[in-house]
Amino acid sequence: MDVFEPKIIGFLCNWCSYAGADLAGVSRLQYPPNFRAIRLMCTGRIDPTFVFKALAEGADGVLIAGCHPGDCHYTEGNLNAARRYHLMMKVLEDFGVERGRVRLEWISAAEGPLFAKVIRDFTEIVRALGPFNQAAESGAGDTVCAS
Amino acid sequence: MKRVTIDPITRLEGHGKIEIFLNDDGSVEDVYFQIPELRGFEKFVEGRPIEEVPRIVTRICGV
Amino acid sequence: MRKLRLASYWASACGGCDVAILDTNEHILDIAAVADIVFWPVAVDFKYSDVEAYDDRSIDVCLFHGAVRNSENEHLARLLRQKSEVLVAFGSCAVSGGIPALANFKRREDILNRVYRESPSTENPESVLPQPHFTAGDITLDLPDFYRRVYALDDIVPVDYYLPGCPPTPERIWEVFEVIVSGQLPPAGSTVGVADHSLCHECSRVKKEKKVKTFYRPHEIIPDRENCLLEQGLICLGPVTRGGCGARCIAANMACRGCYGPMPGIIDQGAKFISTLGSIIDEDRVEDAGAVIDRIVDPAGTFFRFSMAKSLLKGARQP
Repeated sequence: MDVFEPKIIGFLCNWCSYAGADLAGVSRLQYPPNFRAIRLMCTGRIDPTFVFKALAEGADGVLIAGCHPGDCHYTEGNLNAARRYHLMMKVLEDFGVERGRVRLEWISAAEGPLFAKVIRDFTEIVRALGPFNQAAESGAGDTVCAS
Repeated sequence: MKRVTIDPITRLEGHGKIEIFLNDDGSVEDVYFQIPELRGFEKFVEGRPIEEVPRIVTRICGV
Repeated sequence: MRKLRLASYWASACGGCDVAILDTNEHILDIAAVADIVFWPVAVDFKYSDVEAYDDRSIDVCLFHGAVRNSENEHLARLLRQKSEVLVAFGSCAVSGGIPALANFKRREDILNRVYRESPSTENPESVLPQPHFTAGDITLDLPDFYRRVYALDDIVPVDYYLPGCPPTPERIWEVFEVIVSGQLPPAGSTVGVADHSLCHECSRVKKEKKVKTFYRPHEIIPDRENCLLEQGLICLGPVTRGGCGARCIAANMACRGCYGPMPGIIDQGAKFISTLGSIIDEDRVEDAGAVIDRIVDPAGTFFRFSMAKSLLKGARQP
């Protein structure tokens, strides 16, 4: 049987986590290729809509990564992200989205090894959860879908 | 057997359908009254805060 | 001038939208002066067979209320699309699923079991569930197929105009009628009878800096009538909701429930509201903010109250 290769979308802040990912790369650290990074200036820019849309359009897991609390380039953007994440996870639970699929991590520009470890761990967690496939599941079997 | 279908029944709130079956004499053999509509308020109010319930169940019938 | 041929139909709906049309009061006579009703189950006696006999596109305007919950709703949506020149998704249910789409958080099987087997007021000793086909001797009866989730009208057929609200207010309905009669129709696909600003824009309360220390349920405080309800800790969907309703709930000292749907540019009303609340909670430590957030009961059902069928995730996964 083929091993399921999850698609993981990551929203990384420009100042810390994207630089951390860069460091992981230039340090030649190994991590699975299932991860696609989207760079934003700050995790405070992340609208939960981004996460919902990623899941709705085929992502199996979503990572949000930004500066450690207190380190935000914009002072408190990452605190906005943390509050939104907490509330969003409560909502996603009601949508039947497993907690393991959406993850928040603080990764600084110096933490290349941590970035690689997070991606390795997260990929295995999402792989174990299996495909997300929301669009196909809700309403599957209705005649309206067939038409 | 003759079949008379009244679909939909009108001038009331909700969906309804009546099927009347007449025998060869033309008298009524069987009548079926059908409610083709279900939304499931009984289920989807579960888990909602109690103060929401009066504001949700008013949408059972707005007439 | 030829009189307009007007239809009004309810699919998975409560009839409140039909009553809202009547709530245009004496304007209903003006509507009758310019339009013939050719189908309106709550008010006049036309049958589905009458509609099937109409020529295609012979209904000038069809106001379609209600969501699509079952195969009968879908059939009528397709039939009325075929027979109508202009199809209007009228009211929150047709626009975005509305209250019936809260059922998208539940599984189809659980709904049927609850209603027909577990409900304390139901007597069903043989434990029968509605079947799409029933045969007794040479009689066959059909019931619509109850779908796994609720759909908005435009999930099924193309829609010309959207008129949101639960229900749309009579003032807006009348304005839309005036536009229809004038023939000066807006571009197809427009949302009509709404404002392009948020509800907050037409809310007359005093708005200061939005910083909320804790959230309240309605029975826990009596909010004052001068200040922003959200700032007082009530979950008010105003910031993400279109205006146009005249802020009636606010005038009754009740927080906005979001029935007019998302502001233009917002893809997902509920997801956007998570963003709103996340940025106004006045706690910087993650644990403290978490404690405030945990006071919100049923956030998913609250934020997606009227928009579930049009949310990005459409419904809860059904394992």
